[in-house]
Amino acid sequence: MKKIQIRQLIEKIEGEAELDFVFNKGKIEDVKINFGFYRGIEEILKGKDARDALVITPRVCGICNHAHLLTAVRAIEDGYRKAGVPVELSSKASDIREFTLACELIQNHVKWLYFTILPQLELYVNQKSEENYAIKATYLSSVITKALAIFAGQWPHSSYAVPGGVTCDPTHLDVMQATSLLDESITFFEQVMTGISLDRYLAIDSVSNLDQIEGDFGRLLYLLGSNDMAEIGQSHDRFIVFGDSPLSKAGKSIVTNFAKVDVRYVKESIQKGTVAKAVTYKERLYEVGPLARGMVAKTPIVKSLHKRYKDSVLTRIFARVHEVAQLLDYSKTLLQNLQLDELSCSLVKGIQVDTFEGTGVVEAARGSLIHTTTVKEGLISNYEIITPTQWNLSHGTKEESGIAIEAMIDTSSIDEATFIFRAFDVCSVCTTQ
Amino acid sequence: MKIAEKKALKRESIIQTALQLFSKNGFHKTTIPDIASKLQMSVGNLYNYFSSKDILAQEIIKYTSEALGEKIREVNMTEATAEEKIYQIVSIYFTMAEEKPEMIEYFLRVYLSNREVFSDGCEGMVCVSGFITEIMIFFDDSVSSGELRNQDFFSAFGLFMGYLGGMVFLKGENVLPKGIEHYIDDISRNIYHALKA
Amino acid sequence: MSSSPKPKLLWLQSITCNGNTHSFLNHPDLFSILSHFEMIHHPVLEGSATMQDVLAGAVDCDVLILEGSFKEEGFLKAGVEVSSLIHTYANKAKYIITAGTCATFGGIFKQNDPENISGLCFDIEEKTSRYVRYAPKLISLPGCPMHPKWMSYVLLMLSHGKKIEIDNLHRPVELYGYTVHTGCTRNEYFEWKIDTENYGFKEGCLFYEQGCQGPYTRGSCNKILWNDTSSKTRVGTPCFGCTEPAFPRISLHKTKTNMGIPAKMPMGVPRRAYLTLTGVVKSFKIKRFSERLMEYDK
Repeated sequence: MKKIQIRQLIEKIEGEAELDFVFNKGKIEDVKINFGFYRGIEEILKGKDARDALVITPRVCGICNHAHLLTAVRAIEDGYRKAGVPVELSSKASDIREFTLACELIQNHVKWLYFTILPQLELYVNQKSEENYAIKATYLSSVITKALAIFAGQWPHSSYAVPGGVTCDPTHLDVMQATSLLDESITFFEQVMTGISLDRYLAIDSVSNLDQIEGDFGRLLYLLGSNDMAEIGQSHDRFIVFGDSPLSKAGKSIVTNFAKVDVRYVKESIQKGTVAKAVTYKERLYEVGPLARGMVAKTPIVKSLHKRYKDSVLTRIFARVHEVAQLLDYSKTLLQNLQLDELSCSLVKGIQVDTFEGTGVVEAARGSLIHTTTVKEGLISNYEIITPTQWNLSHGTKEESGIAIEAMIDTSSIDEATFIFRAFDVCSVCTTQ
Repeated sequence: MKIAEKKALKRESIIQTALQLFSKNGFHKTTIPDIASKLQMSVGNLYNYFSSKDILAQEIIKYTSEALGEKIREVNMTEATAEEKIYQIVSIYFTMAEEKPEMIEYFLRVYLSNREVFSDGCEGMVCVSGFITEIMIFFDDSVSSGELRNQDFFSAFGLFMGYLGGMVFLKGENVLPKGIEHYIDDISRNIYHALKA
Repeated sequence: MSSSPKPKLLWLQSITCNGNTHSFLNHPDLFSILSHFEMIHHPVLEGSATMQDVLAGAVDCDVLILEGSFKEEGFLKAGVEVSSLIHTYANKAKYIITAGTCATFGGIFKQNDPENISGLCFDIEEKTSRYVRYAPKLISLPGCPMHPKWMSYVLLMLSHGKKIEIDNLHRPVELYGYTVHTGCTRNEYFEWKIDTENYGFKEGCLFYEQGCQGPYTRGSCNKILWNDTSSKTRVGTPCFGCTEPAFPRISLHKTKTNMGIPAKMPMGVPRRAYLTLTGVVKSFKIKRFSERLMEYDK
């Protein structure tokens, strides 16, 4: 039988991508992922003031802009420290940053669940419901980004993080409003997404208890399970996390081995036929994102799913939705313990380092986001951004296929492969900054 | 002549007369009756124009500041270089010290020496803003055109005006061997070289 | 346009970050606003046509929302020049809304290729060759991103058949008649020329050192609050002038000053008037403005 190549346009993935599926004997043998257009954010930054990155880099992406802001500020702070200027954040400043980042992740995951995964799954298994998932997505995402905006001024495209802290100076009035919005989000999670209380949900630690989950997430799990989709979409089963976050410490996980990581071994390379660059760690491919965080952190329910279903579409999807619960719970503690009498910005006004190089890492919705800024005489001479999607969607190395490609190989239809592809929460604009 | 215009003229003549007397005899030694009698008007009528000696003193500083500011404004409106403008501002200042010494004397010997008189109503730069504003505009123009070096306002202002005030003070003390106009060239050059980009 | 059938809405993306898309999704009345329209295609929301249909140039369009910078040649989606798609639908549409600074003036992405990238009808402030053709139906909503309620204002006005007053850059005057400074909670500090001690204080103005462009940036960010809650300046972040044609300028966190005097004056304010006022108010030390707004027992 001859090989056939079919090109498919995938839309609603924060832009579009074109996938070339190579079929051999009725199965997908290879996939080429093509992204269209390089927008040149890294080029635009050259020659600008070091702190301009705090305004420019969020514009890489409309859905994970806040993660870019926080990565950019960490890169500057890292550079200051390496140049000998101490930058110590108050616990207030770092807690507020953690909170607003958590809000963005929640926003992202919920939009992905309701805009992408549920409707696409229903379409794929041909069990379309009459649900208005979009109204659920926008309801929760606008509530939680409102909580974010109390501290950051706005979402998208806040620039409220500055070297040494944050620009806001919240009062208890602000914290109470944010707490109330967070409670509203938790209520949504309990009553609409899962049908059980957040505490009971978080107590679920093994596959055998998954039947406790109802609501929309319950329906999602049911549809995956009843359509033999629990085991599809397995990839290389290698995971990496570069940023310490409440969800996971940095590290990598292969099978059951955990090891420390160092961003110095990350290598970016140009790929043929696409403007997206590929990244490897010590020449090997790794998956990043919620599943990676769950595996590296050894989150019990993620480990339990992984034990049975490996790095399948089910485990991957579950890990992402699961983070919503973890982040809601964590955010509640953050707000409860916020020390308002501390300084918001501990770097004295006017202190500025003129020549430095720094790297910032943040665990964004889709995985590790890395910025490296090189500044000479106050101006950016080089800026490098490595986005999570670059890890998951690379073409691969000579020896092996890319993470998402490996997950799609051996499936027998474009619809199935496309669903697996979307389970990575693909972001077109981040891939082609 | 309308009544309002008449009153304005009278007001100005009071200011000018008081300016001369304050500068010559000192603020405390000059009384309202002294000013009234020099103007051949009644003390009561003078109080119709200025309700107290302090108020009169404050109006005078505004008047002199406006007069000086008006002349510098004309310089600011020209297309001259910063170096030329410095020369013109120094000339204006020294010419005024020569031709209307009471104006500058008043600033140095009354305004700066009797701060209690000006503390309520003429705080900081309130009563000299007519002059300060034009100096700000001169600096702003000259820095944005790249001719003068960008720095803190007061470090530049202090150099410029402290220098001019010091020279006029020396003149008043009769210690300058030559007429003050002889110093315009060198002082302008010194100021320009100190401030240039 | 209020009579049925509903006007057909097409949201088309060019060179963008999707920021305007996500900004609009935050609108609390999103679905009631959209109920006045038939959604043909949207980057996230469901529409009656697929992207393939849109790319074929085959769908109808009454209101075109364009997001992203414009490039006549070289920006393709599935082999189709996006500029040709924009022309196709812009010609069909009764109204064109340029959503965001990129679509309106060129924005950030213009800076990577200033010669070839611009807004649809404006290149910064200059009219492009396309202006004449589209001007009669053009509404500009600059902002990086644009505020969701600016978009809903335009959509609701259109669906209710009302005329939208616009300025010379086609911005609705009811949205852009204000400056970002209007309604800023730090206005008292601006009046008395008191700058903030550092980032992270609710007291003090950001215009003198931190680079705030609020007094000369058009937009209603401090009147119609972001996320119904706040704004940049309210949380101590300077306004970066993201609604303005030349956004982004350089050195955004620094006020350019000449001998301490802001190089750019508040909109329409003569420099002499501003400096006169500055000299006067700076002469007063007002105790309340040197204190914290509120004190807490330790």
